[in-house]
Amino acid sequence: MTWLSRLFAGQEAPDPALTARQQQLLANWRQLPAPDMRRSHYRCRYVVVDVETTGIDVKTDRLCAIGALAVVDGQIDFKDAFQLVLADAVPSAAGLAAERSGAAPVDALLAFLDFAGKGPMLAYNVPFVAAMIERTLAEGLRVELGLPWVDLAWVMPDLFRNIDPAQGGLDAWLSHFGIESIRRHDAVSDAYVTAQLLQITIASGARKGFATPASLLELEKARRHMHQSG
Amino acid sequence: MSNGATEMLLSACSQFLAAYAPFDRMEPEALRFLAEHVKLAHYPKGARILANEMGVARALYIIHRGQLRVKSSADGTGNAAYASVTLGPGQFFAIGALMAQRPTSSAYVACEDVFCYELPADDFFVLTQKSTVFNLFCTQHIAGLLKQSQQQLQLQFAQRAAEQRTMNSPLAAIVKREPVSVAAEASIRQVVELMADRHLGSMVVVDAGEQPIGIFTLSDVLKRIVLPGTSLEQPISAVMSPAPQTMPLAANAHDAALAMAMHGIRHVLAVDEGGRLKGVVSERDLFKLQGAGLRQIRHAIDAAGSLEVLQHARADVRQLSLTMLAEGVGAQEITQFISTLNDTVTRRIIELNLDRHDLYGIDWAWLSFGSEGRDEQTFSTDQDNGIVYICTDIMDREQTQWRFLEFARDVNADLDTCGFPLCKGNIMASNPDLCLTLEEWEEKFAQWVRTPEPQALLNATIFFDFRPLYGRFNLAHRMRLSLFRQTQGNPLFLRMLAQNALSVSPPLGRIRDFVTGADRDHPGTIDLKKFGVRLFTDAARVFALARQVEATNTAARIKRAGALMNISPDDVAASLDGFNFIQLLRLRHQHFEQEHGRAGDNLIRPDELNEIERRILKEAFRQARKLQARLKLDYQL
Repeated sequence: MTWLSRLFAGQEAPDPALTARQQQLLANWRQLPAPDMRRSHYRCRYVVVDVETTGIDVKTDRLCAIGALAVVDGQIDFKDAFQLVLADAVPSAAGLAAERSGAAPVDALLAFLDFAGKGPMLAYNVPFVAAMIERTLAEGLRVELGLPWVDLAWVMPDLFRNIDPAQGGLDAWLSHFGIESIRRHDAVSDAYVTAQLLQITIASGARKGFATPASLLELEKARRHMHQSG
Repeated sequence: MSNGATEMLLSACSQFLAAYAPFDRMEPEALRFLAEHVKLAHYPKGARILANEMGVARALYIIHRGQLRVKSSADGTGNAAYASVTLGPGQFFAIGALMAQRPTSSAYVACEDVFCYELPADDFFVLTQKSTVFNLFCTQHIAGLLKQSQQQLQLQFAQRAAEQRTMNSPLAAIVKREPVSVAAEASIRQVVELMADRHLGSMVVVDAGEQPIGIFTLSDVLKRIVLPGTSLEQPISAVMSPAPQTMPLAANAHDAALAMAMHGIRHVLAVDEGGRLKGVVSERDLFKLQGAGLRQIRHAIDAAGSLEVLQHARADVRQLSLTMLAEGVGAQEITQFISTLNDTVTRRIIELNLDRHDLYGIDWAWLSFGSEGRDEQTFSTDQDNGIVYICTDIMDREQTQWRFLEFARDVNADLDTCGFPLCKGNIMASNPDLCLTLEEWEEKFAQWVRTPEPQALLNATIFFDFRPLYGRFNLAHRMRLSLFRQTQGNPLFLRMLAQNALSVSPPLGRIRDFVTGADRDHPGTIDLKKFGVRLFTDAARVFALARQVEATNTAARIKRAGALMNISPDDVAASLDGFNFIQLLRLRHQHFEQEHGRAGDNLIRPDELNEIERRILKEAFRQARKLQARLKLDYQL
């Protein structure tokens, strides 16, 4: 079928490797409206993401798994969750992985886009998580995600100033709020605990006047600015 | 949607739930259904998770993490027993509100960060159907609330009864009204007039410092004024008993009783530290405190030679009923008890009147109708009675009836004196229409059964609950057999009677939980007689007549007819519980009303009941609805 789609898609096709159906899905996703960042936390759908990787270097290490959960209107629905495990991350499939040079399967990435919609996206330590995901999408789909990301690692210290778990990172926040992981460092499990931190964060934010995703982003921007100049 | 992420989250959720009852016993599929349909929500410290103002409860809340406090809103009784309860992980709320589909009356407030699994109401009901374990749990939960409520009621009454009964209470607690006193110079005429005016049994004479110097009682009037012919213009000090017995306010009732026994007196004066008069304690006050037992009351009634004694006995019946409420005796026993003692009073009044009316040689019986006929009297009850007699010679009929009517008029008047008000609808033996021969009664009943027009159906609901009270009981039995013959031969009558029973529906709304608009003069209330007990008694009457059950008591009718109708014992017990609960509410309401000097009506305000009572009342109405559904089924209505 590939040749046929190539024939019809003509020059407009961004990636001749995609089937017509895949291109359609991609086009559908592109047409989704941008997220309304000015809606209340309790009227929007946050996509909380975490990743598993081979290491901590954004440039050389590779993505092994994505775990994602939606926080819709402030609530977590277990049926609204997503998991993607890349073939080369599974040791038993190593032979096959070598051949495919670590490229993520197109359908799985499309499924991720379908789950994520147009966000807003949220993670703990966005520079790393977002970079990993965006690179994988660029390689596999030649797609630029282009969505707003909120980073809890920046937002939370500002909202919970009396708590200072800065040194301990995610684990320190979890232990402070008594949130237990199902399996720490599993992408889904980490996304789940991050989602719970988000629930705590938006409740606190809403009380302090940060009632929308946009206001969290502004809070984050101000803090980054302060850190850079200071 | 089934994927690895969801599976992992679901199994974590199930694992958490399975650590707590009743989820630990729940069927695996049901547990999975639960995990699939809950959503995890977070509430910051201080947030109101669920409260009355949020309207009808929309979800079941299972606490995943954190503590919350349950704040019981004022329940009108000022009962603080369960005002503050803390809930933690694995516990959940508010099953009662969810099942009743109404707002909760308690507020659930987060004490810290709280995470809750929330199951939407629709899924909750699906779950109760999917899981027998869960269903049973919820049912028992409601039943537990019933017990809790009864205990609460008992506690409430026990406190009141204790206050009233103990002989250890200080005189300060017994003395109720401001003492009335006069100066030594007051004339006898003034004093006697004052006593007559205020209905006083005694008058205390005080000096300028309000210290008692003498006492004058009603019994002194005869011995010291009338017989010796004392002038009424003389000062009271001439005829009073000087140096009356006084006791400090802090002395207790027992001391007072002892003093009375020792000095052979009927009054003790309570004084403060300065020796100033503060109140009068009479022998009668102390007798009330001791409280009379059932046997004493019966004995007193049976031996009563005058109406005055019977009047006191009626007061004692009330007092004892109150004590029984306090001791947790059920509504059925109490109403039956009241009926029994009222029967005894009525019989004694009949006997006293028989001394004056010669009915010798005639077979007759005194009948009671309505609630008395059903053995279901409450505190406020009027007369519903009649007479059946045998007249062997038709020529004597008019003369005989006249004699019975004379007799009945006296009995009705005496009953009125003893606290059974005359019937406004003239359903009394002194009414010539209700003082009939056996044949006339039979014809009357037959007439109503053959032509079931509205008035006939209304009559059926009063008169077909007849019960003999005095005289030849077999006459009543013959009336009953004749009635059954009529109803068996006229299936249309039972159908109409059933339809009549269905003309009033339980006051349950589709949206709001209670319908309270039925009575325009009393908005916000429910008439527990018309929209409560009557639902049960009307249905039970049809059941009983259709199955030839002779009982007139509603509980007995439902039990016996229920067995013949293949209603399961559990269902029978459930409807009796509902019926009794409504009766209990009526008793309590009437008691408080009368205590505050109002005529005991049956209008209760659902808003003033506490959460538990409202739940149970709603369940009671549902039971009435079930009985009505059975009527609809039986008569294709």
